Amino acid sequence: MKRGLLLALWAGASPLPAVAQDTQWTMPAKDYAATRYSGLRQITAANADRLRPVWTFSTGVLGGHEGQPLVVGHTMYVVTPYPNVLYAFDLTRDGYPLKWKYRPDVDPNAVGIACCDAINRGAFFAEGKVIYNLLDGRTVAVDAVTGKELWQTKIADLAKGETTPVAAFVVKDRVIVGASGGEFGIHGWAKGLDLATGRIVWTAYNIGPDSQVLARPGTFRPFYDKGPDLALTTWPADVWQRGGGPVWGWMSYDPALDLVYYGVGNPGPYNPDQRAGDNKWTASVLARRPADGSLVWAYQFTPHDSWDYDANAEMILVDLMVKGQPRKALVHFDKNGFAYTLDRATGEVLSAEPFVEVNWARRVDLTTGRPVLDSSKLTGASRGNVKHICPTLEGGKTPAAPAAYSPRTGLFYVSTNNMCMDYQAAQATYIAGTPFIGATTPYHAGSVGGGNLGAFIAWDAVRGRRVWEIKERYPVWSGVLATGGDVVFYGTLDGWFKAVDAKTGRLLWRFKVGSGVVGNPISFTGADGKQYVAVYAGIGGDWFLLAGDVRSDDPADVRPPADFSPDIARHTSQGGIVWLFGL
Amino acid sequence: MAVRSVRRLVTALALVAACRGGGPAPAAPAVRYGQHVFAGGAAPPGATFENPYRGDRASAAQGEAIFGAMNCDGCHGGGATGWVGPSLADGRWRFGGSDGAIFQSIYYGRPHGMPAYGGLLSSDVVWKLVTYLESLQPPPDLPTEAWDTSAR
Repeated sequence: MKRGLLLALWAGASPLPAVAQDTQWTMPAKDYAATRYSGLRQITAANADRLRPVWTFSTGVLGGHEGQPLVVGHTMYVVTPYPNVLYAFDLTRDGYPLKWKYRPDVDPNAVGIACCDAINRGAFFAEGKVIYNLLDGRTVAVDAVTGKELWQTKIADLAKGETTPVAAFVVKDRVIVGASGGEFGIHGWAKGLDLATGRIVWTAYNIGPDSQVLARPGTFRPFYDKGPDLALTTWPADVWQRGGGPVWGWMSYDPALDLVYYGVGNPGPYNPDQRAGDNKWTASVLARRPADGSLVWAYQFTPHDSWDYDANAEMILVDLMVKGQPRKALVHFDKNGFAYTLDRATGEVLSAEPFVEVNWARRVDLTTGRPVLDSSKLTGASRGNVKHICPTLEGGKTPAAPAAYSPRTGLFYVSTNNMCMDYQAAQATYIAGTPFIGATTPYHAGSVGGGNLGAFIAWDAVRGRRVWEIKERYPVWSGVLATGGDVVFYGTLDGWFKAVDAKTGRLLWRFKVGSGVVGNPISFTGADGKQYVAVYAGIGGDWFLLAGDVRSDDPADVRPPADFSPDIARHTSQGGIVWLFGL
Repeated sequence: MAVRSVRRLVTALALVAACRGGGPAPAAPAVRYGQHVFAGGAAPPGATFENPYRGDRASAAQGEAIFGAMNCDGCHGGGATGWVGPSLADGRWRFGGSDGAIFQSIYYGRPHGMPAYGGLLSSDVVWKLVTYLESLQPPPDLPTEAWDTSAR
């Protein structure tokens, strides 16, 4: 595709027609609705067993390879984990040689301030720029043709415990970014930057007085909550200023409503005794105007979160029939184990059903929007060691592994974890730039299933039930790709990349990709007109912490296996590889 | 305050060394890394730190409490067995495992995000942490991990 045509396509505010978009993959979740669905249909259930690797590239980086490549025209862009090198591959030439690589100078201190491995969740292409975050708290815009840096902006402060693995998200002339640090006592926020210059136009905190949260009179209308300063009055005095609420997941956008949606992470510390109240807007979804950051509505999935149930998972925007009525819906698979369907115009909860084993709450009350708690699963330093809470703080599904939606089957495809935890909270001391946690939380296999720690499922959001399930020995930590050929792709921690039938879940093909998969597959059309699928291998992220024995790079750091998953290192070790598959 | 006390200690040690040699006190680095390779085989002149509490159980127990209170476990894991930060219980050290090298890692910090605690903790408290870490015994079978090959 010619660059001029691309720019012309991107000049409009509304999303492109699906057909024009399917040849490429220009933003993390494929489209603004975050469906991760490609309409390409050359690869089908009938021929997927002929898939073969056509190209690989070692990134030379051992950190967890979350996120996904971008394909714009016939160039593929890959951002590595720290040190956040950006590669541009020429897909029109034999062997896909590099056009250029951009090597920023990233502060190595970020590696130790990042809670959970030095990962990066990918770039966003807009207006001829490749835009992404460096781990050390900067957003950069790089010329997509030349690889030259166009601007960089410092958005976050390592000294406060803020790091920035989140993928940037571009709407019109605004670049929206956030920061991690829910384990470091940050005061969480999102910022809107000017696409042309990188200048910070607005800063919206997730916690604090209305003036900081950008909850403006007449604009902010939450469906369930009333009153001023909700994100201040639901906290003890001053505690909110180090209350966490990070932004590290995926964003989506509805052009008709002009709303950007993102999830907010956990409150800090993990010991809930230190922060009485609902702790709004942690563990919540926020809907903001991209231009000025104004908060339009907010909904809290887990009030007074006592289990580290971040709500950073993707908000998938689809139109569904709910109780016989067509609704503009937002579907979200929360760490807390419930699959939510919300009205994306108002934040009303239309349904909330457990998609994994859940015992911290019995159900969600659709009148109040609040979970009905099991008081025996409440945690806190005063409650000692609370046993067998499901799901774990890794989530019923990790927000790091985004789901996909196929409009052809009407199903959501979700990587899930089948684990429960014990939770021993303790008093945490805030020391800037050091962890602020206060809980020990060992995991064990869920009480349903046969000891499998994970499963890949197809979910019917209208009926609130699983349609099929593939049990996996390990938690499933990869994102998902759904395609027009009714083939769904995902990867496993023990290093298999799999193609399954979207309708039945039947395994069609698998390939061992050299390291566990925690990245998100994509699909695009090559210069030869054929459909390809790309994915990163490279175990890491939370598995850098949980399976320390998959590491071999540091002779001064040798760890025993995790007791809940003693043999994962038998199947994988670290190492970043970009894989390309085709027929 | 803490910085001043360690400077005093360094100065005192340097003076002792100088007096033994009988000459004027040379400008010396605070800590010599025993594990480093010395160019020409010649060790740079300088004082050697020795842990005043080495082997003292009460100090190790105090150090363990400080390890939690200062959020060290948030990065290095409970029992210092490794989390986002490296294991400090495997008997292996990126920046040297001598008394002085461990002291320096805590007091002055290290690249890749190890914060400098010397502005917050007195050298005495840092030595308690060193004593705790030195008390940790690596599991004997760490270098080899083996699996039952008859299992699935």
